[in-house]
Amino acid sequence: MENEQQPNKEKASFGRMIMDDYMLLLFLGVTIYAIFYLIWGVMELSNLPAIPEEIKKTLIK
Amino acid sequence: MFRTCDITGFKVDLQSQKLIKVNAVFAVISLLLAVVAAILLVFTRYQPVHLLGAEWYYRLVTFHGLNALIFWIIFFEVAGLYFGSTVVLNSRFCAPRLGWIAFGLMAAGLVMSNVIILMGKADVMLTSYTPLKAHPLYYLGIILFAVGALVAVILFFGNLMIAKREKTYGESLPLFTYGLMTAAIIAVITLASGAIIYIPTFLWSLGIIDNIDPGMYKLIWWGLGHSSQQINVAAMVSIWYMVSQLSVGGTSINERISRSAFVLYILFICLASAHHLLTDPGVSSAWKVWNTSYAMYLAVLASMIHAFAVPSSFESAQRRWGYNKGLFQWLSKAPWGNPAFSAIILAIIGFGFIGGTTGVIFGMEQTNIIVHNTIAIPGHFKGTVVIGTTLTFMGITYYLIPLIFRRKIVGFKLAQWQPWLFFIGIALLSISMIVLGQLGVPRRHWDSTFSGAPFNYNFNPAVDFFWALMMLGGVLAFLSTLIWILIVVFSVTIGKKITGPQDMQLKVSPLAPPAKKHKGFEAPGTLILTLIFLLVFMALFFLNWKWLAATWNVK
Repeated sequence: MENEQQPNKEKASFGRMIMDDYMLLLFLGVTIYAIFYLIWGVMELSNLPAIPEEIKKTLIK
Repeated sequence: MFRTCDITGFKVDLQSQKLIKVNAVFAVISLLLAVVAAILLVFTRYQPVHLLGAEWYYRLVTFHGLNALIFWIIFFEVAGLYFGSTVVLNSRFCAPRLGWIAFGLMAAGLVMSNVIILMGKADVMLTSYTPLKAHPLYYLGIILFAVGALVAVILFFGNLMIAKREKTYGESLPLFTYGLMTAAIIAVITLASGAIIYIPTFLWSLGIIDNIDPGMYKLIWWGLGHSSQQINVAAMVSIWYMVSQLSVGGTSINERISRSAFVLYILFICLASAHHLLTDPGVSSAWKVWNTSYAMYLAVLASMIHAFAVPSSFESAQRRWGYNKGLFQWLSKAPWGNPAFSAIILAIIGFGFIGGTTGVIFGMEQTNIIVHNTIAIPGHFKGTVVIGTTLTFMGITYYLIPLIFRRKIVGFKLAQWQPWLFFIGIALLSISMIVLGQLGVPRRHWDSTFSGAPFNYNFNPAVDFFWALMMLGGVLAFLSTLIWILIVVFSVTIGKKITGPQDMQLKVSPLAPPAKKHKGFEAPGTLILTLIFLLVFMALFFLNWKWLAATWNVK
């Protein structure tokens, strides 16, 4: 019985360790936001083809 | 230097107390500026009065947005961060001098940006989308404010480190401080986005940089604009848990789950900034769907957890105090005379039923199109930031006045009414704006009759009724905010000094006793209320899809 409970105990303390480590949470929060929102979005906008010069001139007129 | 609070037993660092006070005072000043502009805007959008000319309308839209969404909220949150990382942890402030520098930068930023706006040199609205260009000092003011706020957030983490090293708290942070830690992490994300976009925009306004790509600006700006509102959500929920403990001695019925919900906020809530780019052609549908779903609705799940955990903490405590009859005796016997309690319950209701439901529906790519760029969008965030965050901050102030300013509340009877008046006012304002948006009324528009335009558009006649309702709600909300500001100002200046627990007008409850015997659900009343909320949410969800189908008849 004791042997069965041991892994659960370890698992719980590991989860708590993660949840209490605010520097790790800061790192994860910033990284997830940076990858999915910022970098992905910037890459998509950067890869847009430029407006052809002729159309651009017409629009600016 | 510490004093020991004779009411709560907390050790209060006097340096921290001073910093909490000045930041709270500047928050109230910002709110006053914001609501004065707001009432003028309400009477401009209300067409029979149409108070301001176009120039001043857009000037005050900028002024209102900056003071309400940035200055009021962040000053108050900084006060909260200092409170949660020192007083609640019985710990000291890590670097008071830096705290004053941070405050100085934020105050300078507030003054600089506001003066430039009122001089008419920054009629760019809060979003200041390029190529709209403001005076360089406008951007510099915001940068100064953001740097000050970032220093304050770093000080919060410094305080946590000191408290941990000096072992002033148990193994884990208290739930309230844990929620504030969540808000602080989101603040880092927010302020970093602000720095990334505002520094080049400042250089562009000086002529050092030639061009700021409008698409790129919008993408990064919303990392600041929307995420800053997620700081509010985390701070607001933390206060809900705190008021549960202060007013009825309640604690989360499963603290680990509540903490997990905060972790979900940290990981995913900032992705929601993508809502603002739903009609932008530059980003793909995959990017939009992933980000607006807060990573497959995991951050929404977090809000649902808090929506159950906070009311159930009230219910569980009340039941343990003996209010056990039926499903709702815990609610009918709740301390409704405590304005902090009533403010928090009303904030939860308003935030859930108005802000939360519309947030998810308007945040979806499909249903968003019905209301995109209509007045329903500011209607939605009146339901989150105002009825949720502002009402919550108003509520906790009723505890801060006696506990931090050590003064009795002046006009306590009025204070007991104030949250209700504010709730009714903002609910009317918000719901009217949402309905007006559903009827196609645009946001940010000085003249919604389009007078003098080459085309003619007639709205559904029902809009006249909802404009009047919006105006009434706005007036009520304005008056109740003035009442709150007067109560706060008079209390902290001429209020009687608190000499001991006998002077407390609000109850500070001890922890509720442990349950004698547990049978069945811990919080059945909350379960029923949550199910009612889910039914309303489903009905609104269905209605919006129905409206979408009626808009575009796909065969």
